[in-house]
Amino acid sequence: MELVGEEKKIQTLFSELRLADEQTVPSFGATWNRAQARALRPRRAFNLSFVAATALLICALVSLAWWSTHWQRPQPNVVAVTPSGVVPDRKPSAGVPASKESPAPSGSEPKKSVSAGHRFEGSARLRAGRLAARQEANLLAAEKKQAAAISSWQSPTATLLSSPNDDLLKSLPQLNESTNDLKSFLPNTPK
Amino acid sequence: MKQIDPMDIAELKAELETLHSASFGWALSCCRRDRGEAEDVLQTVYLKILEGKARFRGEAAFKTWLFAVIRQTAAGEYRRKLLRSLKLITGAEQAGDRASPEVGPGAAFEKSEVQIRFQTALKSLPTRQREALHLVFYEDLSLREAAEVMGISIGSARQHYERGKKRLRETLDTAEVAYGISWRRKENPDAV
Repeated sequence: MELVGEEKKIQTLFSELRLADEQTVPSFGATWNRAQARALRPRRAFNLSFVAATALLICALVSLAWWSTHWQRPQPNVVAVTPSGVVPDRKPSAGVPASKESPAPSGSEPKKSVSAGHRFEGSARLRAGRLAARQEANLLAAEKKQAAAISSWQSPTATLLSSPNDDLLKSLPQLNESTNDLKSFLPNTPK
Repeated sequence: MKQIDPMDIAELKAELETLHSASFGWALSCCRRDRGEAEDVLQTVYLKILEGKARFRGEAAFKTWLFAVIRQTAAGEYRRKLLRSLKLITGAEQAGDRASPEVGPGAAFEKSEVQIRFQTALKSLPTRQREALHLVFYEDLSLREAAEVMGISIGSARQHYERGKKRLRETLDTAEVAYGISWRRKENPDAV
């Protein structure tokens, strides 16, 4: 590479630096021998950083597993709908947690009870709960009506299926009947 | 240069010995002029070659390949050192083996004003620019070879080289001016 002006100046500085470095270069033999000694040295089966990383990973997995087993979804338990429309003034007891109360269908508008522990919660949340309960009750009532209508349904052509000879068609002769009686079942015999 | 058979240790050793001085200079540059670290890096490079972790396949010149290995090893060592410093583990054990950067015949030379300014300016350069300048001016490599060592395209290497030169000149000029002012103030404190 042809050097000009400032490049020559830089080259000179680098040359000086190289000359100084050359005086302090460690001997090749010593460096090579040390490298060879390191190569021959028995290696550790595992290094510390690997062990630390593995331990950390195991800790993370264990804590994740523990968390997933002990984690419970935050329960809304704001509204409890009673089936009979009677508001049970239930206080949260140790035996029956308030959150286990499930909404049941009822004809009238379901009444709601707010557990004492959650009274401080906002009116918006209560309103939302009430609305949800009302919607559920309405849905149940509609389903009941539908079920009744389906059970009493009759086909419009059901009358066409009946005939005057239904008695003969739907009954069978008994084995202990007399011959005369049996004749009535034969088509071309005079009665 | 002919391809070195990895199995032929004697031949490999002879090649490395020829390039030992230049390799040390390059290792010094990669280790920000830390002699102890440069020595460790060079030793690790030889170890890698002995163990076959670094294998010359003849895809480039031997010198270029060796310099690239040194550069990568130095970068790895630097990362490890950073990690160690984060862990607050002092390398007292290693420091004991190392020679002090100030010890030796080179120390007196490095104390010369021009070289101090030059090395300070060199340290202030971004790594790539410093590497490009070192490979071209110190190791007498062409830009193509420098690009191969740095693992970048020749265009990028040229850019780093040009920018490095410009920045080095600017830094040196600024240092010279500042030095001149302080020198004049020392001689005549009344002068503005």
